[in-house]
Parts: sequence; structure tokens; C-alpha cells
Amino acid sequence: MKKLTNLAVASAIAVVTAGAAMAEGLNVPNLTYRTGPFAATGIPLMNGQRDYMAMLNARDGGIGGVPVEFNECETGYSTEKGVECYEATKGEAIVTQPWSTGITLQVLPKTNVDQIPILAPGYGFSPMADGRVFQWAFNMPSSYWDGASMILNELGGGDLSSLSGKKIALLHLDHPYGKEPIPFFEAMAEANGFEFLPIPVGLKEMQNQSAQWLQIRRERPDYVIMWGWGAMNAGAISEAVKTRYPMDQFIGVWWSGHDADLATVGESGTGYRSISWSAPQPDAPVMADIRKLVFDAGDSLAAEDELNSVFYQRGLVISMILAEGIKTAQDNFDAAEIDASQLRWGLENINLTDERLAELGMTGMVPPFATSCANHTGHSGGWMLQWDGAQFVPASGHLMPDSETIASLEGPAAAEYAEANAPWPVNEDCEG
Amino acid sequence: MLFRTAGQFKTSYLKDQTLFPVRQDAILLGIILAFAWVIFPLTASEFTFQTLLIPVLVYSLAALGLNILTGYAGQLSLGTGAFMGVGAYACYKMITIFPEMNLLVAVLVSGLFSAFIGVLFGLPSLRIKGFYLAIATLAAQFFLVWLFEKWAWLYNYNASGAIQVPHVEMLGTPVAGPQAASMTQYYFVLVVVTLMTILAINLTRGTQGRIWKATRDMDIAAELIGINLLKSKLTAFAVSSYIVGVSGALFVFLWRGAAEPNLFDIPISFRILFIAIIGGLGSIMGNYMGAILIVALPVVLKTLPETFGIPISSATVEHLNVMVVGALIVFFLIIEPHGLARLWTLIREKFIIWPFPH
Repeated sequence: MKKLTNLAVASAIAVVTAGAAMAEGLNVPNLTYRTGPFAATGIPLMNGQRDYMAMLNARDGGIGGVPVEFNECETGYSTEKGVECYEATKGEAIVTQPWSTGITLQVLPKTNVDQIPILAPGYGFSPMADGRVFQWAFNMPSSYWDGASMILNELGGGDLSSLSGKKIALLHLDHPYGKEPIPFFEAMAEANGFEFLPIPVGLKEMQNQSAQWLQIRRERPDYVIMWGWGAMNAGAISEAVKTRYPMDQFIGVWWSGHDADLATVGESGTGYRSISWSAPQPDAPVMADIRKLVFDAGDSLAAEDELNSVFYQRGLVISMILAEGIKTAQDNFDAAEIDASQLRWGLENINLTDERLAELGMTGMVPPFATSCANHTGHSGGWMLQWDGAQFVPASGHLMPDSETIASLEGPAAAEYAEANAPWPVNEDCEG
Repeated sequence: MLFRTAGQFKTSYLKDQTLFPVRQDAILLGIILAFAWVIFPLTASEFTFQTLLIPVLVYSLAALGLNILTGYAGQLSLGTGAFMGVGAYACYKMITIFPEMNLLVAVLVSGLFSAFIGVLFGLPSLRIKGFYLAIATLAAQFFLVWLFEKWAWLYNYNASGAIQVPHVEMLGTPVAGPQAASMTQYYFVLVVVTLMTILAINLTRGTQGRIWKATRDMDIAAELIGINLLKSKLTAFAVSSYIVGVSGALFVFLWRGAAEPNLFDIPISFRILFIAIIGGLGSIMGNYMGAILIVALPVVLKTLPETFGIPISSATVEHLNVMVVGALIVFFLIIEPHGLARLWTLIREKFIIWPFPH
């Protein structure tokens, strides 16, 4: 009985102190998926995000002297649990990181009402770039249409007309995420005279893509571009190896460049490329800090061999972007504790220059970019990463998307969304 | 003591046939209704509305629909998710084609589309039974979800292939879309669910319910006493799919706000089947109890460690949650295989004779 009383007292104290702890600090929740079918790809990303914030707390005492409350809420990639997490965290949070196109779609319309910024780096809805329409959504540094454009630029050697007469297949997940680049590819195919062939992979067929690869063998496309996630990536790569599809003609989006997916095929995967807006830099100064303050201190959930992987380091970049947004807002409003709408201003006015990246110790991990009220993506371009049989290495110079072409597609798509969801408030004050 | 029935005399046949022959049952229901209609809405937070109250009602309604087919008429179905999808897409198309349409009417009409599709896929039930019928309804599941993906007209050619609920107003208040207040949505769902429950109780208590039960218990015997099996089975499919379709429309319009086709895939069908089985097949009340166990309990369990300040990571909580809920399901099915509703009946009987069991 005494034990029970002690426990009760202890938990009562814990509740009180936990309540007190919540009151101060920057509440930054992350809707993680460390469980469920996509956990293998989720865990390194989530670890990277978490470790960067833990490093800031340990090194600088947070951001601007205020500790970061980095809370995780587990969704298992399920939309239903995602919305549950969003509802549970939105009260005190200054940002929401939905981490799935499905959850983003659900949360996006609510953010105008709840006035909370969505940070979806490199995912979500490409027209979110139009900050006048999507005031609360951010997907810097690159949208999916940017990715598609960079891949085409690389394939065409900078001149898209050279793709004329070629056949390009898009092996994509049959899901909002996988369908995202199709409008862009269709527009490009029409304008530049190449043949575009979308090959959907249903959620149930992710691990068994023999039908799709039979089609690829029959159609003999010049290039196969992959928009896959989770088990689909590993499935596609092993099928490609089995059907002996030339790996140097097989290119994935940034979510299809997970080290573990390629490690299973090892040498036979040599030549596979993945476009990426982040690049791993094992020797970056920031990595030394993370190793010293987080990893060696035993605060990290990551494994040793994970630290240099593409996804872990991308997680670091994502948290860095958020931290920069917070810092920009703190400087502008001259307040250490900022609220959601101040953070929105901060995310809209990020100016990540080469000097700033060097200061952060992250040179080369992400291209420099700047956001504005009209441009929520930054469109900073990226690099091709190539699998050399053991790891991903940068295999191209800095690639840029055709921003003008993309902008001409973004505007109408954003307007269409706003119209379908009327009444949709638009940022009238924004000039840019 | 609490449930003493002594002294409650029935002096007319009408009184003997009332819904609640025991007064305490009526009082208990009154209390529950008071909670649902007044106390919960007054005290609930946004989080409670969105993750506990509305989903429990929507899932209960879907399970109620399935229960009419499986629990009362004995036809096993694995296509519930797809029939919900039919209701949701029908409602979406109606609202986007006729934006002035009253949402309540749209929701109630969208059930008709689902009923029609349900009858269509129910036709094989005349020839095949049991597991074989379950496989036939599984075909509905696969086919319809495939259709939701491929038929772009259904989602208005949206590039992402998902449906987004537009802004809908009723009497000047937003009821669906991002601007709708949770309380409005809750009351909307509550009205529809109450309506459907009254309908279901009266249907299953009356002639039609008896016909279904006869079909369920032994179809040859039912046929011999003059029951038209074709009519009996198809009405069960129609009524069941109607309710399921209405719940699908509520699911998307009054709760989720957006839906992609694979939302209506097998996992949701199984989830609803579990709610119906654990709640109790052939019971109306069981659906609500099942939904509370399957839908609400995990949400409550998830918030417990944080409330008590126990520092475990969110992912571990999720793992624990799955284990606890799984263990509870096994536990309840072991102590009462006929579901929670039957468990309540037993407890109630004990209460009636308490403290003098014979």
C-alpha cells in the first residue's frame, strides 16, 4: 500500500512538473511513424530530426535561449492517427509536421482556421509553393514538381528538346503521393515531344511488381523514373536487378533513395540515381557536434551506421530549416518565445545563404535558398545522388528546376484548390 | 436492489410490448442520452470531439449497418468499407454537382446509392452461403476500391485522386468543410445516428426482423414456413448497405474532411466487422460498446502515459497500445464469446435477482 501511495505521489508530482515544463519552451511536435509498414524509411528521418533539436538544446540551450520541446506523436503513417495527433498537439504547438501526403491533405484545409503552419519539406502538395493561396503551408526547399523538373534537366543534359522521341516511364505509387508529379510530366511531354508512360503500382502490389516490370520490359522505355515509398522502393529495385534493366537509366525521387533499399542488392544496384535536395556530408562540423553532444551522450535513438545515411542527414536538414524559421521570427519580433503566426512569418522569410550554412556547419548538406510570402518552396534545386555499390555519392553538379514552367502550372493549380475549397482566404497583402 | 422489477405490473398488451418493459432500463438509457445530447457536447474539447465522440458514433453506425446483415440476417460480408465508400463518393458528387443541396438530404440520399450497389452484390447470396458469400463480398471490396481509384469523374479529376470536402452551410452555419465547428458536426452526426438507430430497432423488432432472424437460423425451415428468401436476403442487403452508406458519407463529410480511395480498403471492413463481433452480433447496443472498445479505447490509452507523466516514447506507447487492446479483445471474447452486449445482459440479469440469487 505504501508503495502505491508513493507511486501516486510521484506521478502527481510528475504531472505538475510536466505541466510546468510544457508552459515554457518552443513546442514543436513531430507526427512520426516509427511503427507500421513505412517504419523502415521513417525511423532514420525521425532520428535525424530529433537529434538536431537535441543537439541545439545541449549546445545552445535551444534556439535563442529557449529550449525546444520536441515531442513525437506516433501515427504509424495512418491518416486517422495522424489527424488524432494533429488534434492532440495543435493546442500548444507552433508548427505541425504531418509527414504523409494523406495527413497533409487532411490537415491543409484546417490550418487556415487553426492558424498553424504546416512544415512539409519536400513533400505534400506541389502547388503549396504559392504562398499567397497556401498561407500556412511550407514545402521548402523543393516540391515534387521541382524534383521532376530536375530529373528531366539531368536526363536531357539541360536541353529538354533533346528528349524528343524518347520514352520515359513513371513507376509510381498509386496514391496521392505517387500521382503528384503526373501533371508536370504530362505538360512536359506535350511541350517537348517525348512519350510519357505512367505505370501505377497499387498499395497491395508494392512488394510484387512483376506485372509492372513485365510492362517495362515490353515497352522498353529509355528511362524509368520512380516515385515510390516504403516497401515499393526495395521491390522495384530488386525487380529491376532481376529483369536486368540498366541501372543508369533508372532514377528515383528523393524518397526513393534510401540506403537500406539499395544495400539489399549491393553491387548490382550500382548506377541507380536518386534526385535529392539534401546530400550527406559525414565530415560536416554539425556532425561532430551531434556525435559529441547527442550520440556519444547516449541521447540518440539512431544506430552508428545510420548517422551517415542520406535519410538521417535529411532529417537534420529538416530540423535545421525549422530552427532557422524560428530564429528568423525571434530576431524579427524580438521575442524569444514566439507563437504560431510569428513562426509563419519566420518560415516565410528564411534566407539561407552559403555563409549561414557554413556558420551552421552544414555546407553542402542543402543548397542555399530563400523564401518569401509568395514563394513557400524556395526552389533551390538539388543534386543527383548515385549508388556506388555501397553508398550514395553526389553524381552531378547543382541542378536547378525550370522555375518559370513550374510557376505557370502552380498558379492555376493553387487557384483551382482555393476555388474548390471556397471560401478560402488568400494573402492579399503579399506583393511578390 | 437497483434493478428490482417487483411491483412493475403490466396491465395491457401495449404496455407489455413497450421497448423497455423494465423501468430501470429506460432510466439508464435516459441518462446515456442526456450524456450524449447535453453533457458531452458541453464539456468536450476539440480533441474529444474529433477523436472520440464523432468517430465512435460514425463507426457504431457502420457496425450497426453490418450487424443487420451479419447479425440479424446471417449473411457474412467483408465489403463494408467499399459500401461506405459508395456512400461517401455519392455524397461528394451530389454536393459538388448541386452545391445548394441540403447536406442532411444528401447524406440520407447517398445511402440509396450504396443500397443499390449492396443489393447488386447481394444477389449471389441466394446461391452461396457462409464463407463463400464472404468471398463474393470481398469481390465487391476489391472492385469498388479499384473503381474509386480509376474512375476520375468520381473525384472530379483531382490530380491527387483524393476527394476534399467543400464548404457546406446549413441555415447559415457551416456544417462540413474546414470552417465547421466540431460541436455542429457532432450534433449533425448524432441526429443521423439517432434516427438510424430508431429505424434499426423498430425494423429488427418487427416482422422484417423476425423474417431475417428466421433466415439466419435456418433458411430451409424459413422457406418452409413461407418466407421468401430472395426478398429476405435482399432487403437485408439493402437496409444494411443503406445504413453503411450513410455512415460512409458521415465518415468523410462530418469527420475526415478528405479521403483517398484506399481509405475504404479491407482494413476498415475488418475493423467494422470486429466492432460488430466484439460488440455482439444480433444486437443494436453492442455496436456502440464495440466501437467504444475498438475506436475510443486506443485513443484514451495513448494519452494515459502523458497524463501520468510517465516518460516513454510515443512509438513505445503505440506498441503497448496494440498489445493492450489486443489482449482486451481476447479477454472479452474468452469471458463472453457472444460479445459485450451479451455480457451486459448477463450482468443485468444478475442485478435483477441480486442480492438473492437462486
